[in-house]
Amino acid sequence: MSVIVNEVRRSTYLDSIVLMRISRQLAELPGVEEAGLVIGTPANKEILREAHILGPDGAKAEPGDLIVALRAKDSAAAEAALAEAKRLLEHPEISGAPALENASRTMRAAFQRMPDANLALISVPGHFAAAEARKALAFGLNVMIFSDNVPIEEEMALKREARERGLLVMGPDCGTAIIGGVPLAFANVVPRGDIGLIGASGTGIQEVSCLVARAGGGISHAIGTGGRDLRAEVGAIATLMAIDALEADAATRHIVLISKPPAEAVARLVLDRVARSRKPFTICFLGARDLALPANARCAATLKAAAELAMGRAAENGPTQLSLLRADGGKLVRGLFAGGTLCAEAQIVFRQAGLAVASNVPVPGAAAIADANRGHLMIDLGADEFTRGRPHPMIEPSVRDRPLIDALADPAVGVILIDVVLGYGGHRDPAGHVANVINSHDRRPLILASVTGTDRDPQPRDAQVQRLTEAGVIVAESNADAADMAIRAIGG
Amino acid sequence: MILDAASDVVMIVRSGVLAREFCRQNAHAEVAAVFERSLYLRYADMFVCLGAPAIGNGPLTLIADFRPARLHRGQGASISARGIMIGDAARLSFDRCEPWQPPRWPLALSPRELIDVGQAIAARSAIEAPAEGLGRVHAQGRGETPLGRIARGRIARFASWLRGALETDRVSLAESNAVQDLIGLGPGLTPSGDDFLAGALALLDALAEIKAHAALAGAINASPRRLTSPLSGCLLRAAAAGHIGEHLHRAIAAVISGDVDTAVAAIRNIGHSSGWDMLAGATTALSVVATARSPGSRRRP
Repeated sequence: MSVIVNEVRRSTYLDSIVLMRISRQLAELPGVEEAGLVIGTPANKEILREAHILGPDGAKAEPGDLIVALRAKDSAAAEAALAEAKRLLEHPEISGAPALENASRTMRAAFQRMPDANLALISVPGHFAAAEARKALAFGLNVMIFSDNVPIEEEMALKREARERGLLVMGPDCGTAIIGGVPLAFANVVPRGDIGLIGASGTGIQEVSCLVARAGGGISHAIGTGGRDLRAEVGAIATLMAIDALEADAATRHIVLISKPPAEAVARLVLDRVARSRKPFTICFLGARDLALPANARCAATLKAAAELAMGRAAENGPTQLSLLRADGGKLVRGLFAGGTLCAEAQIVFRQAGLAVASNVPVPGAAAIADANRGHLMIDLGADEFTRGRPHPMIEPSVRDRPLIDALADPAVGVILIDVVLGYGGHRDPAGHVANVINSHDRRPLILASVTGTDRDPQPRDAQVQRLTEAGVIVAESNADAADMAIRAIGG
Repeated sequence: MILDAASDVVMIVRSGVLAREFCRQNAHAEVAAVFERSLYLRYADMFVCLGAPAIGNGPLTLIADFRPARLHRGQGASISARGIMIGDAARLSFDRCEPWQPPRWPLALSPRELIDVGQAIAARSAIEAPAEGLGRVHAQGRGETPLGRIARGRIARFASWLRGALETDRVSLAESNAVQDLIGLGPGLTPSGDDFLAGALALLDALAEIKAHAALAGAINASPRRLTSPLSGCLLRAAAAGHIGEHLHRAIAAVISGDVDTAVAAIRNIGHSSGWDMLAGATTALSVVATARSPGSRRRP
C-alpha cells in the first residue's frame, strides 16, 4: 500500500534549479514512487492531486509556501525520503552548488589567508576573469582560469604578462589539472607517478590519466593550457612553459601532449621545443595528419594510444568476447558524449576504420552535423548549443536525456555509444542517471559505454560500471575501445 | 570588482525602473530569499532583486557586484536616497547607479515568416527544453506528466481566448478564466504558467498588439492575488505593466526578427525552465497573432 506524505515550508523561496534538483534526487530514492516540490498555489495543488501525491497538509498550503510531496511504497521509505528532503532543504548547497560561507571575497583576502599559496583557481563570469587573473599574477601566483568567454586578446595579454613574471596561466576554459598530486576542477584521483601530461583538453587529460592509473602507472603533474593556447594568436605560451616545467621536474620521466591539431606554425614551434628536450614525448594531436616528429617523440592517434605509449605497454582491453557483440536491427551508431575530446576520439576511430561520420564538432575528415545524411553521428553534448544557460553534462547528466531517449526510439540506430566521466566536480551518480533513463524504455539497441575514472574517485568507478552493467550496458575499458566495439558490432 | 575597498561599500551600478521606485517609496524592507548570486527584498507585496551582473538587468532588479552568501532571510534592510543597508553585513550605494531600460523593439517579420519562426522554435523546444515546465509540453503537444496533462488543455483555451481578444474589441472578464487557469501553474520559483503569460505579454508588446496586451494585462490584474506566490505575482504584474527583463527582451526581439538561435540562447539565461516557459507563451501568442494578421483572417481591420 503506497503512502503519501507532505511537508509544508512556510514562505520559502528556493532557486528553481535547486527545487528541480532536490525533486529529482528524492524521486530516485529507494521506494519512492513519485516526488514533487512546488509552491502551494491552487493550480499546483491540482497537479499534485493529479499525481496522487497531495495529502491533507499540502492541501492547506498557501501560495507562498513550499510543498514537499512524496508517494512511497511504504512508511519506512516515505519517512526516509522525507528526512532526506528536510536535510536537502536545510542545506540546499548539498544538492548542488557548494556553500560559499567560508570563501574569501577578494583575491587579497584569499592570499592573506593562504600566504604560502602558489596557485589561484579562478572561476568567475568570463568578463571578470582576466581582472582577477591579473590580481593573482600581481600576488606572484600561478593561475588556472576555469572560466570561459574570456576574449582571446585578454588571454594573449595575460599569458605574456605571466611569462614575464615567470608564472604560468592555465586556461581560460581550463577544466582539468593535477598539480603535485592535487586534483583541480574536473580531475580524478590518480596515483602519483612519472608521466607528465600537458593538455588543451580537460577530458583528454582525464581519460589518459585514468588509463595510466588503471594500468598501474601514475601522473607527476597534469597541466591544462586552455583550448586556444595552440592557436597562432596565443602561440603556445602555456604549452611551452609547461614543457619547460616538466622538463625541469625530476619526477617526470615521460611527457604527453594532448590537443586538437594546432596551427602549422605553432606545431613547428612546439615540436622544435620537444626536439630540444632530453625526455621522451608522446604527441597526441587528435586528428592531425603528417606530423614530422623529432626522434624523441612518438605520435598517438588516440588517447588510449597516448596512454600506452607513455607507459610503454598495452592497456587492458577487457574480455575478448566483447568483440563478438552484434547490433540487432539498426546499423547506425549514435554517440552521445559529455566529453568533447572523447567525442573527437570516437570520430577518429571511425575515420581510421574508413567509416563516414558526422558531428557537431567534426574532426578533420568528419562531416558537419548539418551535412549528415542518416549516417553515424557523434554529438558533443558539452558544446555551446547544449550548455548555454545550463550546467555541463558532466555536472548535470540530464542534458543527455532527450538525445538518449531519441536514440533509443530510433529504429535506425543499432548502437548507442556513451561516455561517463567521473571525478571531482562531476555529478555524484552519472551512471545511475543514465541507467534510469535506459531502464524506463523498452527498446534496447546495443549500448556501449566507457567510464573515465578510477575506483578512488568520489564516484568509485567499479560501482559506476556495475550500475551500467545492471542496466544492460556493455562497458569498455576505454573510450577508443568502445568506439572500436561499436564498429565491430555493426559489421564495419 | 566594483568595490570601494576603503569603506566596503558595494556600488549598485544599474537599477530597473520599478526597483528604483521601490527604493524611493520604502524606507524599510526585509530579505525574503537568498540565492547564490542574488537576493530578494520585500515590502508588502512588492519585491526587488539585488544581484550580480550575470543575472541580467530587469525592471525590478538592482545590479551590483555583490555576493549575498552571508545574508539570510528575515534580515531587515534600511533604504535611503543614498543606498541600502542590510543588517550590519552589507552596504550598497546608489552613487554610481544608472537607470536601465530595454531598447526599442525591432521591426517584425511578415505574418508568414513569423509562423515559420514559431515552428522552428517549437522544434527546438521539443528537444532542448527541460522535462519540467511547459516548454516541451507546448512544443510536443503531449502531456505525459501530471503538469502536462493539466496544462495542455489550458494552453489551448488560452490561445482560443487570445484569438477572441484579437478578433473582437470586447473581452469579457468572465472569459478570463482561460488566463487565470495558467496563473500559479507548475514548478519553480516562478510557476511555469506565470512565466508563460509573461512571455505572451512580451510578444504582444513587441508586435504592438496594444488591445490584446491590454486585455491580457487586465485579466491578470483582475485575478485573485492568491493564485500565485507573492514574488511571482509581483513579477507577473510588472510584465502586465509592460516591464520585462533584459534576457526576455532579447529573446523576443530575436523571435520577431527571425533569429531563432539568439532567442534560444537568451532564454537559456533565465532560470531552469522559466525561459523555456516564457518562450512557450511567446510562441503561442505569436502563432495566434501571425494567423490573425495573415490574409483571409476574420480579424477586423
